[in-house]
Amino acid sequence: MVTNRPLGLQLTHIDHGYTIGGTFTPVLDDISLTIAPGEFVALLGPSGCGKSTLLRLIAGLEPPHGGAILAEGTPITGPGPDRIVMFQDPTLYPWRTVRGNVALGHDIAGRKDPASVEAAIELVGLKGFERAWPHQLSGGMAQRAALARALVNDPRLLILDEPLGKLDSLTRLTMQTELHRLWQDRGFTAIMVTHDVEEALLLATRIIVFSPRPARIIGDLPIDLPPHRHRDDPRLLDLRKNILVQLGHSADW
Amino acid sequence: MSASDTRAPPVRATGQTATKAGPRRTLLPWAAGPAWFLAALVTWRWPDADDFPDTSQLAALFLAVGLGLTAAAALRRLSARAPWAIALGLGFAAWEIAQAKLLWLPRPFFGTPQDLLDVFLTDWKRLGDSLLHSLGLLAVGYGIGAVLGVAVGVGLGRSPRFRYWVRPLIRLVGPLPPVALLPLAFVLIPSGRLASEALLALAAGFPTTILTWSGVAAVDPAYYDVARTMGARNRFLVLRVALPAAMPQIFVGLFMGLGVSFATLVVAEMLGVKSGLGFYMQWAQGWAAYPNMYAALLMMSLMCTGLVTLLFKVRDRVLSWQKDGLKW
Repeated sequence: MVTNRPLGLQLTHIDHGYTIGGTFTPVLDDISLTIAPGEFVALLGPSGCGKSTLLRLIAGLEPPHGGAILAEGTPITGPGPDRIVMFQDPTLYPWRTVRGNVALGHDIAGRKDPASVEAAIELVGLKGFERAWPHQLSGGMAQRAALARALVNDPRLLILDEPLGKLDSLTRLTMQTELHRLWQDRGFTAIMVTHDVEEALLLATRIIVFSPRPARIIGDLPIDLPPHRHRDDPRLLDLRKNILVQLGHSADW
Repeated sequence: MSASDTRAPPVRATGQTATKAGPRRTLLPWAAGPAWFLAALVTWRWPDADDFPDTSQLAALFLAVGLGLTAAAALRRLSARAPWAIALGLGFAAWEIAQAKLLWLPRPFFGTPQDLLDVFLTDWKRLGDSLLHSLGLLAVGYGIGAVLGVAVGVGLGRSPRFRYWVRPLIRLVGPLPPVALLPLAFVLIPSGRLASEALLALAAGFPTTILTWSGVAAVDPAYYDVARTMGARNRFLVLRVALPAAMPQIFVGLFMGLGVSFATLVVAEMLGVKSGLGFYMQWAQGWAAYPNMYAALLMMSLMCTGLVTLLFKVRDRVLSWQKDGLKW
């Protein structure tokens, strides 16, 4: 697999909201953020604050109401295969086998590249399950297949919308390690929404903390730690405490 | 599936039920042949109550079936179906005795097995011709209705503007039984065949449209998001996402449409089209030729069940990804 250059992003004064039942609810409030190529940015914030909405805007699934999102200086006007999203649910197509699901991006592009499909399946450890139907997979395996489906497009930016949120804790630990290894090997830029402070601390090079809805950026912490981090590292524990205070959970600590 | 269960060696360890079922299962297929030999013997040796045609041919037919079943038993090809084969043989023997030998039921409404056989032996050409006409009419009408139904259903599910204009029309015309339009159709459309095909298309189209629409409307929006982030355009979203996702529902619609088509076909053939099994039945009834009517009924039943079986075979292939499904 060829590895593309990682993508850099500039978000300037993003405003967004939804009209539900006739009333307008603001979701994002003046978000400005610059993400350098190759960064692993974790977005942390209270549940429902609008982090996932921000990801949809970056993916190009919706245009923002206000502000601009630039990818290397060019405005994002729609979705594109260089920015791949991995959702909380695997959202595999039940009518395609694992192989068919992983090949989705190729089918859309009208490209035939079975070798890269097989390579991606092997990379996420699903070799031998190419012909399995999604309903035959466990939750962790399904999410691995979704990861392979994303990676086969060789994205320059991987958008992770709480991709490990529904996995059991052991599978989660394994997948965190694998995501980290992939990010190091392939060198894409990664933006990940998560509710798990520890997960953010283990994986990210930078953590953005959001306020409750409408989301504003209330914290921007670079994590200057070596890539191979240990969960019990005292520096991580300090950072964790700091973030929890920003999220308004000082009393729980 | 059933063949593999019964072919499996009897399990000794699981207790009494298994060992009891063992010998009965192995002997049962051997009883199917004799049941038919009995029917043949009764037909051949017991004198008919009246001068019925083809008694000896019928006896020969029963004998042939009995021989075939015995061969099947010897080749171990008859296990799950053995009870049915026995019941059918005994049933034919009982029918033969009750009607051909004892004349228990009033004639001409109830015929004998040899009457039915005689219809197939003497009138097979017209019966076959009627079957082909019915099938041809169905194929064109149902085919057009199915394709249009899927197309309109996808339009209704995907495009608000299409929905705005087409939904009221569907709601007005769709629930109408197609048969109600029959008199009008025969007046408006000069060719009876064309009119029937149009009605068959309507009959098949309405349930297909509604269920395709419902299936497309129920597609998880996340499926579209996944494809869109990889750069999919509308064509891919419709043909490769919406359609396969809605396929289980579409097949329900196709099945319902097939049922309405059968009803519409028979009525159309009885009232307007001068060919087909419905027409044959109407004609047979006019001449009080009840055995012919039974023969046509049998043909129609085989045609309908054959087509439903075909539809389910296609469905099982297309929906092989589903966890489980109804087995027709």
